[in-house]
Amino acid sequence: MGLDARRDRDRVYQPAEDSDLLATAAREAASSTDRVLDVGTGSGYVAHEVAETGARAIGVDPNPHACREARDHGIETVRGDLTAPFAPDSFDLVTFNPPYLPTDPDDEADDWMGVALSGGETGRAVIEPFLADVGRVLAPSGHVLLLVSSLSDIDVVRERAAAAGFEASAVAEDSFPFEKLLILRLDPV
Amino acid sequence: MKESLMEIIRCPMDKQELELEPIQESDDEVLEGRLVCTECGEEYPIEEGIPNLLPPDMRDDPPA
Repeated sequence: MGLDARRDRDRVYQPAEDSDLLATAAREAASSTDRVLDVGTGSGYVAHEVAETGARAIGVDPNPHACREARDHGIETVRGDLTAPFAPDSFDLVTFNPPYLPTDPDDEADDWMGVALSGGETGRAVIEPFLADVGRVLAPSGHVLLLVSSLSDIDVVRERAAAAGFEASAVAEDSFPFEKLLILRLDPV
Repeated sequence: MKESLMEIIRCPMDKQELELEPIQESDDEVLEGRLVCTECGEEYPIEEGIPNLLPPDMRDDPPA
């Protein structure tokens, strides 16, 4: 591993169990004619798996190191904040493995790995603004696949999704000693 | 970035269309250049093939 790659490991979230769960669900959901947005694409792993179906996968991330790494993996990448830089009705599928670890406010994220992991006091500080805007960029028949952890309270995430105009259904789950992970499929009502 | 991305990217501030000002291109990609909002005039850089569409206030203060 070169120096740049080693440095990236400290600054860019690398694929883990949550990434795998989302990538598997996304591969099943995507078809070859779809345009897919992977929000918080990190290393580009989920976007890359989706692109295997023939879909056009685009990654967005605020972290410049992540953008470079995803682009090096062949992913079309935009540096940006969630879905803010995209046009209405653009995507058949939006995937998001969000930062969801509840974080002490005194322990604010001060580096890119912190940004990739920290979900604020509730674990939902990034999920909530995502839910507020994602409907805008979805094509009429489009849907969202959102990874949710029991650490950020799955019932509350479901409530927030309903308030943002989505019907939520669990399409995959996996349990670990300290958390349960779920993939929520969100369909605009 | 590929020029076909222009269809689906917008100014993150007012969601208006962007105008592409390429500086350096290769094959089918713009490597260096600028995206300018047709409404508010805000400029967004394209560097190493990656458009930076963060709002200006998020662009200036990156973590380490």
